[in-house]
Amino acid sequence: MGIKLNYSLLPGLEKTGVLAPMIPVTFKNGKHEFSTIALVDSGAEGGVISTVIADKLGIKWEKIPAKTGFSVGNNFLFHPIDINAIIFNHEFSLKINVVEGIFAFKCILGRKDLFKRAKICFEGYKNQFEVAFREFN
Amino acid sequence: MKRIKIDFVKLLRGYKAGWVGISSDFKKVLVWGKTLDEATQKAKRFEKKIYFFPSGESYSNFIGIIYYGDKIKL
Repeated sequence: MGIKLNYSLLPGLEKTGVLAPMIPVTFKNGKHEFSTIALVDSGAEGGVISTVIADKLGIKWEKIPAKTGFSVGNNFLFHPIDINAIIFNHEFSLKINVVEGIFAFKCILGRKDLFKRAKICFEGYKNQFEVAFREFN
Repeated sequence: MKRIKIDFVKLLRGYKAGWVGISSDFKKVLVWGKTLDEATQKAKRFEKKIYFFPSGESYSNFIGIIYYGDKIKL
């Protein structure tokens, strides 16, 4: 059984009518834990968090060798790290990318993490999406 | 089936900067801090899970809006 989430309207976008699929997530890195609300992005290859969130998770991202990534807007530097995530009581490990120079709130889950763990059905005509986690033995 | 609705416009109204801590039912803001550290520190008195989200940001950057005149593309 899945969980349905309404697409969310973010402040400042009221006149645009643009809605975003947002999902609550808790990240765990050892004894550090941080809960936030992430964008579910089927166009993102991997998950992304800002350095602000990484710092809160006690991730020494500066010590992880940087790699170069690219997006529609520009290139960026990122530091990949393995951490755990909990979504709706489902805990799983994922590789998240700490990206330099992005907005503090940025937290995106993409195809290599959330989409590998759950069936996600976007229903744009209803402004909602459904997340149903796969059961592993 | 369980349904979740997060009304960021309502939750973040009145918060022009800093970080908010949102209740686990996503219905109210429990803490606010000028910085994330301040917000998480204030949240320690709550036993329940709190979700942190920044306030007063330009969220259009989050979801990559491109303006074409009066039309919008993602």
